[in-house]
Amino acid sequence: MSGAEIPSSQDPADALAAVAALRRLADQIEDAAVEQAMRAGWSWPQVAEALGVTRQAVHKKHAKRLIAAGVTLRRR
Amino acid sequence: MSTFDKYLQTIIENGAAEAHADRSATIEAHHLLLAIAGEPESATRQALTEAGLDRQAIRDALDREFEHSLGGAGVSLASFDLPRPSPAAKRPTQLGASAKLALERIARSHRKKDLRPAHLLLAILRAEVGIVPRALAMAGVDRAGLQDRVLQTLTTETT
Repeated sequence: MSGAEIPSSQDPADALAAVAALRRLADQIEDAAVEQAMRAGWSWPQVAEALGVTRQAVHKKHAKRLIAAGVTLRRR
Repeated sequence: MSTFDKYLQTIIENGAAEAHADRSATIEAHHLLLAIAGEPESATRQALTEAGLDRQAIRDALDREFEHSLGGAGVSLASFDLPRPSPAAKRPTQLGASAKLALERIARSHRKKDLRPAHLLLAILRAEVGIVPRALAMAGVDRAGLQDRVLQTLTTETT
């Protein structure tokens, strides 16, 4: 139950499931972190550069959600 | 529109709501399973309930699967304390790979006019790998036994 024990599994099913779960977690953390940054007044180019993706990509992925959530976004 | 089509549409709509709440960009098989467990379609839901799987039990099993699978990579959910992100502006409309596979399984094995709600649940339960079978195994559910029970609802019901 606690995350304390780290199973060192040889089973490919566990390894593949770990990859899938890590991707989901990365998406969740990205959503939370981008939202937190934009609420703190970061600009899209700053967030994009910090994530290592293009401004267009980060805008396309997050703008609608953040606008709907009422986050005040910096223009540039 | 046939009864099955209506049922499928309802499950996909409710699955979209589950995916949205889950902060998922696509509707996956486990979201459809949650929707099935929340839908008062008697025979299908009863088979799930008999296996101890109401909607909440499935949700808990999915959460455990997520934590356990992350643990396989040495990652603990508890180490992240970022605030929960706001949900997407709109519910997702796209089916993810796992949901598409379940629907393909139905299309391959049955004629459209023979389809009933239990076929959708069966198609989801027939996945051998992925989130759903892992979550059910972790919840101690006998997936083969559950499939048999769902199959029985199809044979005992009159058409």
